[in-house]
Amino acid sequence: MSSREEILQRLRKNTRETYEQPDLSQLKPITYADPVAEFIKNTTTIAGARLIEMQEGDDLETVISQAYPDAQGSVGVIHGDIGVAENACVWIPQTMEDRSVCFASEQLVVVLSRQAIVNNMHEAYARIAASQTYFKEYKFGTFISGPSKTADIEGALVYGAQAARAVTVVLK
Amino acid sequence: MSTKHSKAAEAYQQQPDVVERHDNTFFGVRQKRDRMAQMLPEWEDLRNAASQIKKHTVTHLADYLEQFEQQATSNGVHVHWAKDAEEYNRIVYDILSSHGVKKVVKSKSMLTEECHLNENLEAKGIEVVETDLGERILQLMKLAPSHIVMPALHVHREDIGKCFREKGLMDNPTLSGYAAKPADENDPTFLTYVARMHLRQQFMEADAGMTGANFGIAATGDIVVCTNEGNADMSTAIPKLHIVSMGIEKLIPDYASMAVFQRLLARNGTGQETTVYTSHFRGPRPGGEMHIVLVDNGRSDILGNEEHWQTLKCMRCGACMNTCPVYRRSAGYSYTYFIPGPIGVNLGMLRDPKKYSDNVSACTLCCSCDNVCPVKVDLSSQVYRWRQQLDSLGKADPMKKTMSRGMSLLFNHPKLYTGALRLSPIVNWVPGFVIQSGLNPWAYGHQMMRFPKKSFHELWKEEKV
Repeated sequence: MSSREEILQRLRKNTRETYEQPDLSQLKPITYADPVAEFIKNTTTIAGARLIEMQEGDDLETVISQAYPDAQGSVGVIHGDIGVAENACVWIPQTMEDRSVCFASEQLVVVLSRQAIVNNMHEAYARIAASQTYFKEYKFGTFISGPSKTADIEGALVYGAQAARAVTVVLK
Repeated sequence: MSTKHSKAAEAYQQQPDVVERHDNTFFGVRQKRDRMAQMLPEWEDLRNAASQIKKHTVTHLADYLEQFEQQATSNGVHVHWAKDAEEYNRIVYDILSSHGVKKVVKSKSMLTEECHLNENLEAKGIEVVETDLGERILQLMKLAPSHIVMPALHVHREDIGKCFREKGLMDNPTLSGYAAKPADENDPTFLTYVARMHLRQQFMEADAGMTGANFGIAATGDIVVCTNEGNADMSTAIPKLHIVSMGIEKLIPDYASMAVFQRLLARNGTGQETTVYTSHFRGPRPGGEMHIVLVDNGRSDILGNEEHWQTLKCMRCGACMNTCPVYRRSAGYSYTYFIPGPIGVNLGMLRDPKKYSDNVSACTLCCSCDNVCPVKVDLSSQVYRWRQQLDSLGKADPMKKTMSRGMSLLFNHPKLYTGALRLSPIVNWVPGFVIQSGLNPWAYGHQMMRFPKKSFHELWKEEKV
């Protein structure tokens, strides 16, 4: 018997009582009067990122070059599809062939539409599950909330552990 | 008779400042977790949902594993099954050696610790580089993790600086162009940059990336890995070969369930609203390969254990350790199992009760762990149940056993009890050194009570109460 069969058989034999899947639609997750304002607040506080709100008539390239006037290191620019107010996460589906730009860039710019901001992770995951496009071409997607962090040395918070050292979210 | 845990804990107490620092550090994380809980009105509903989802999944695990395998395979992933650590190590080695891999970059995984993967691969000539900063520090210093989420918080910056200097990390030519040497080379920010530049080289040189799995999603075949550093993403975005190691209990049904766990993991683990990265790996990169090794290694047996099967709900957030007064004051190395704290006591007993029974004493039954556990594992009740089994394992303390027999005799015979109670104030006249002597194991570390002159019963009869 293969290990696969052995494991499955033992699991079935050792299951005594079974439990139903809970009805998660009964959960009443937190929502905000102004999710965009909550997202902006959390991006600049808990996530430790910078946030630029584009104004009517602004051009994305100009905004970015003004934000990084003397960009020496690499500035990666990526597009987010969903912003989550409760934790400043931005859903980044892989759309580029080499996803290392999302992680290896010293400075990361995440462009997001303010219409794409939801209250919480339940709403975000419901959108991803319903989408017909994510994971089609490239089988990867990630939520990013601010720059790479660590507190592994005596609990001292340091930005720029391994991936992006600084993140700017541009809201359009 | 003392346990290995109590002896090690006693030795640890010899440095009160170290104990205090450890205690404060982890209680600080516990307090951050509390703030997270208070911010969400639905907190208790989330815990209930998480517990119910896990109960449902682990009692339908065979079906979900089949569904997961089917999805992952259709996504172009190679799925392997390992019944124990030996088979797991063999599968990983075979994948690596058939691809000619010399160096692996690896993100944190308690499963690989459980199976001793690193030692196994190193013995066969494959270099394994841990990429989580804390894990890399421990690997370079040849130390074991002291906590499952914050593995190196017990190590001091001076020792890390010394290790980095000795291992040549400070002489890295790419470092000088990146960060200027500060006056204090042991500054955590500078040390983090030293590690950053060192690890960037490792990512470039590695032929394969390995990750664990915080969650596997049956409906889609996704592997979800949560980190703050982005090291799992760096490990898998640069080398083309990705191997995932996943304990079979990490499976959850779908994205609706994933939302519940994503919200709970970081809030409970480190007191953050989210980890910086929550990455979904659904298949290989263009031109790459992705393998998932599903590991049992005793988990299917735990399912059949009526008293302890709910440990399978655990998502390894570490909240039970941060709140545990014994863990905070005795630290990870006092435990004989590689996972410390309340969950580690239980998992160790499930691994090998004779070998790991020394940890069962590391609990005051305060039940704080039960009250913080985001998936509601009944940790302290389980410890209590293990204690009831110590005698049958031949691990009960003989002195306490004798005293228990004496008490049983006393409490079951009212006349004897009343007689003894009348005589009890005599104990007050026994000199302290006799009471505190080794003959009375319960007096150790406790102040003995003073027996009153009259018992409650006598006072009641005299109508004085």
